[in-house]
Amino acid sequence: MSKNHRSRFVAPAVVLAAGSVISGAVAIGHAWNDAVIAEVVTVLLSFGYYMMTKSDSDIGAVYGNRADERQVHVVLKASRNSMLVMLAIAFVGVVVTVAMNEVYWQFDVLGSAGGFAYLLSLLVYGTHDESANGPGDIMSGKSS
Amino acid sequence: MKNRVREARGERGMSQADVAAGLGVSRQTVIAIESGRYSPSLPLAFRIARFFEMPVDQMFDPQEEVGT
Repeated sequence: MSKNHRSRFVAPAVVLAAGSVISGAVAIGHAWNDAVIAEVVTVLLSFGYYMMTKSDSDIGAVYGNRADERQVHVVLKASRNSMLVMLAIAFVGVVVTVAMNEVYWQFDVLGSAGGFAYLLSLLVYGTHDESANGPGDIMSGKSS
Repeated sequence: MKNRVREARGERGMSQADVAAGLGVSRQTVIAIESGRYSPSLPLAFRIARFFEMPVDQMFDPQEEVGT
Protein backbone atom coordinates (compact mmCIF):
# COMPACT_ATOMS: atom_id res chain seq x y z
CA MET A 1 0.00 0.00 0.00
CA SER A 2 1.50 3.35 -1.04
CA LYS A 3 2.06 6.22 1.39
CA ASN A 4 -0.41 8.34 -0.59
CA HIS A 5 -3.08 5.66 -0.29
CA ARG A 6 -2.36 5.11 3.41
CA SER A 7 -2.64 8.83 4.14
CA ARG A 8 -6.24 8.72 2.91
CA PHE A 9 -7.09 6.61 5.93
CA VAL A 10 -5.84 9.14 8.52
CA ALA A 11 -8.90 11.44 8.65
CA PRO A 12 -11.43 8.55 8.55
CA ALA A 13 -9.42 6.73 11.24
CA VAL A 14 -9.39 9.83 13.48
CA VAL A 15 -13.16 10.21 13.04
CA LEU A 16 -13.67 6.51 13.78
CA ALA A 17 -11.46 6.64 16.89
CA ALA A 18 -13.05 9.82 18.26
CA GLY A 19 -16.57 8.56 17.53
CA SER A 20 -15.81 5.22 19.15
CA VAL A 21 -14.60 6.96 22.31
CA ILE A 22 -17.87 8.92 22.41
CA SER A 23 -19.80 5.69 21.82
CA GLY A 24 -17.92 4.16 24.75
CA ALA A 25 -18.87 7.10 26.92
CA VAL A 26 -22.49 6.68 25.86
CA ALA A 27 -22.31 2.98 26.78
CA ILE A 28 -20.94 3.84 30.24
CA GLY A 29 -23.21 6.77 31.01
CA HIS A 30 -26.37 5.84 29.14
CA ALA A 31 -27.51 2.61 27.48
CA TRP A 32 -25.95 -0.01 25.23
CA ASN A 33 -28.48 0.46 22.44
CA ASP A 34 -27.72 4.20 22.37
CA ALA A 35 -24.01 3.36 22.14
CA VAL A 36 -24.65 0.99 19.21
CA ILE A 37 -26.54 3.76 17.39
CA ALA A 38 -23.69 6.20 18.09
CA GLU A 39 -21.15 3.69 16.75
CA VAL A 40 -23.19 3.03 13.59
CA VAL A 41 -23.36 6.78 12.96
CA THR A 42 -19.59 6.97 13.58
CA VAL A 43 -18.84 4.22 11.06
CA LEU A 44 -21.07 5.88 8.45
CA LEU A 45 -19.41 9.24 9.10
CA SER A 46 -15.96 7.70 8.84
CA PHE A 47 -16.90 6.08 5.52
CA GLY A 48 -18.18 9.45 4.31
CA TYR A 49 -14.85 11.02 5.19
CA TYR A 50 -13.02 8.27 3.31
CA MET A 51 -15.14 8.89 0.22
CA MET A 52 -14.35 12.62 0.48
CA THR A 53 -10.61 11.87 0.52
CA LYS A 54 -10.98 10.39 -2.98
CA SER A 55 -12.63 13.45 -4.51
CA ASP A 56 -10.74 15.75 -6.89
CA SER A 57 -11.29 18.87 -4.80
CA ASP A 58 -9.65 21.01 -2.15
CA ILE A 59 -11.61 19.20 0.57
CA GLY A 60 -10.54 15.83 -0.84
CA ALA A 61 -6.90 16.93 -0.88
CA VAL A 62 -7.06 18.25 2.69
CA TYR A 63 -8.79 15.20 4.15
CA GLY A 64 -6.60 12.93 2.01
CA ASN A 65 -3.40 14.53 3.40
CA ARG A 66 -2.15 15.58 -0.02
CA ALA A 67 -2.72 19.34 0.25
CA ASP A 68 -0.39 21.56 -1.76
CA GLU A 69 0.78 25.03 -0.65
CA ARG A 70 -2.42 26.86 -1.68
CA GLN A 71 -4.57 24.25 0.01
CA VAL A 72 -2.49 24.64 3.18
CA HIS A 73 -3.38 28.36 3.06
CA VAL A 74 -7.04 27.38 2.70
CA VAL A 75 -6.70 25.13 5.77
CA LEU A 76 -5.13 27.99 7.76
CA LYS A 77 -7.96 30.36 6.87
CA ALA A 78 -10.56 27.71 7.69
CA SER A 79 -8.85 26.95 11.01
CA ARG A 80 -8.77 30.65 11.89
CA ASN A 81 -12.48 31.03 11.11
CA SER A 82 -13.43 27.94 13.10
CA MET A 83 -11.41 29.21 16.06
CA LEU A 84 -13.14 32.60 15.89
CA VAL A 85 -16.54 30.89 15.86
CA MET A 86 -15.56 28.72 18.83
CA LEU A 87 -14.32 31.75 20.78
CA ALA A 88 -17.51 33.67 19.97
CA ILE A 89 -19.61 30.74 21.19
CA ALA A 90 -17.50 30.48 24.34
CA PHE A 91 -17.91 34.22 24.99
CA VAL A 92 -21.69 34.13 24.48
CA GLY A 93 -21.86 30.97 26.58
CA VAL A 94 -20.03 32.60 29.50
CA VAL A 95 -22.15 35.76 29.29
CA VAL A 96 -25.46 33.87 29.13
CA THR A 97 -24.64 31.30 31.84
CA VAL A 98 -23.25 33.96 34.21
CA ALA A 99 -26.38 36.07 33.66
CA MET A 100 -28.54 33.00 34.40
CA ASN A 101 -26.43 32.13 37.45
CA GLU A 102 -25.64 28.73 35.93
CA VAL A 103 -22.38 26.74 35.72
CA TYR A 104 -20.14 28.50 33.20
CA TRP A 105 -16.72 26.87 33.59
CA GLN A 106 -17.09 24.75 30.43
CA PHE A 107 -17.33 27.86 28.26
CA ASP A 108 -14.59 29.53 30.28
CA VAL A 109 -12.23 26.58 29.67
CA LEU A 110 -13.07 26.54 25.95
CA GLY A 111 -12.40 30.27 25.53
CA SER A 112 -9.31 30.34 27.74
CA ALA A 113 -7.75 27.29 26.06
CA GLY A 114 -8.39 28.77 22.61
CA GLY A 115 -6.90 32.12 23.58
CA PHE A 116 -3.90 30.50 25.27
CA ALA A 117 -3.27 28.25 22.26
CA TYR A 118 -3.39 31.33 20.01
CA LEU A 119 -0.81 33.21 22.11
CA LEU A 120 1.38 30.12 22.36
CA SER A 121 1.24 29.66 18.59
CA LEU A 122 2.32 33.29 18.07
CA LEU A 123 5.31 32.65 20.32
CA VAL A 124 6.22 29.34 18.71
CA TYR A 125 5.75 30.30 15.05
CA GLY A 126 6.66 33.98 15.27
CA THR A 127 10.08 35.23 14.21
CA HIS A 128 12.27 36.40 17.05
CA ASP A 129 14.87 38.80 15.70
CA GLU A 130 17.39 38.66 18.49
CA SER A 131 20.12 40.43 16.51
CA ALA A 132 18.14 43.64 15.97
CA ASN A 133 20.23 46.73 16.74
CA GLY A 134 23.16 44.50 17.54
CA PRO A 135 26.71 45.39 16.60
CA GLY A 136 26.53 43.35 13.39
CA ASP A 137 23.24 44.85 12.25
CA ILE A 138 24.23 47.11 9.36
CA MET A 139 20.59 48.13 8.84
CA SER A 140 20.26 49.62 12.32
CA GLY A 141 21.77 52.92 11.22
CA LYS A 142 24.30 52.92 14.08
CA SER A 143 27.98 53.24 13.31
CA SER A 144 30.53 51.50 15.49
CA MET B 1 0.07 39.26 -9.94
CA LYS B 2 -0.21 38.72 -13.66
CA ASN B 3 1.28 35.55 -15.07
CA ARG B 4 1.63 33.76 -18.39
CA VAL B 5 0.82 30.25 -17.16
CA ARG B 6 -2.39 29.90 -19.18
CA GLU B 7 -0.68 31.26 -22.28
CA ALA B 8 2.37 29.00 -21.90
CA ARG B 9 0.16 25.98 -21.26
CA GLY B 10 -1.94 26.76 -24.36
CA GLU B 11 1.15 27.11 -26.54
CA ARG B 12 2.24 23.64 -25.49
CA GLY B 13 -1.22 22.12 -25.87
CA MET B 14 -1.25 20.92 -22.28
CA SER B 15 -4.22 20.48 -19.98
CA GLN B 16 -4.42 21.93 -16.48
CA ALA B 17 -4.16 18.37 -15.18
CA ASP B 18 -0.91 17.85 -17.13
CA VAL B 19 0.59 21.00 -15.64
CA ALA B 20 -0.62 20.07 -12.15
CA ALA B 21 0.98 16.63 -12.44
CA GLY B 22 4.21 18.14 -13.73
CA LEU B 23 4.40 20.67 -10.90
CA GLY B 24 3.20 18.35 -8.14
CA VAL B 25 0.24 20.53 -7.20
CA SER B 26 -3.51 20.10 -7.52
CA ARG B 27 -5.48 21.00 -10.62
CA GLN B 28 -7.44 23.47 -8.50
CA THR B 29 -4.20 25.30 -7.67
CA VAL B 30 -3.26 25.57 -11.36
CA ILE B 31 -6.73 27.04 -12.01
CA ALA B 32 -6.28 29.50 -9.12
CA ILE B 33 -2.84 30.59 -10.37
CA GLU B 34 -4.03 31.02 -13.96
CA SER B 35 -6.96 33.14 -12.86
CA GLY B 36 -4.74 35.23 -10.58
CA ARG B 37 -6.63 34.24 -7.43
CA TYR B 38 -3.49 32.75 -5.95
CA SER B 39 0.09 34.00 -6.14
CA PRO B 40 2.46 31.04 -5.80
CA SER B 41 5.34 30.93 -3.34
CA LEU B 42 8.83 31.64 -4.66
CA PRO B 43 9.79 27.92 -4.86
CA LEU B 44 6.61 27.11 -6.79
CA ALA B 45 7.05 30.16 -9.05
CA PHE B 46 10.54 28.97 -9.94
CA ARG B 47 9.22 25.44 -10.53
CA ILE B 48 6.57 26.83 -12.87
CA ALA B 49 9.12 28.90 -14.80
CA ARG B 50 11.46 25.92 -15.07
CA PHE B 51 8.57 23.67 -16.15
CA PHE B 52 7.73 25.99 -19.04
CA GLU B 53 11.42 26.75 -19.70
CA MET B 54 10.94 30.48 -19.25
CA PRO B 55 12.69 33.03 -17.03
CA VAL B 56 10.67 33.60 -13.88
CA ASP B 57 10.39 37.35 -14.52
CA GLN B 58 8.82 36.63 -17.89
CA MET B 59 6.40 34.15 -16.43
CA PHE B 60 5.30 36.47 -13.59
CA ASP B 61 4.83 40.21 -13.67
CA PRO B 62 4.36 41.74 -10.22
CA GLN B 63 3.49 45.14 -11.73
CA GLU B 64 0.23 43.97 -13.24
CA GLU B 65 -2.80 42.44 -11.62
CA VAL B 66 -4.88 39.87 -13.49
CA GLY B 67 -8.06 41.42 -14.87
CA THR B 68 -6.74 44.99 -14.96
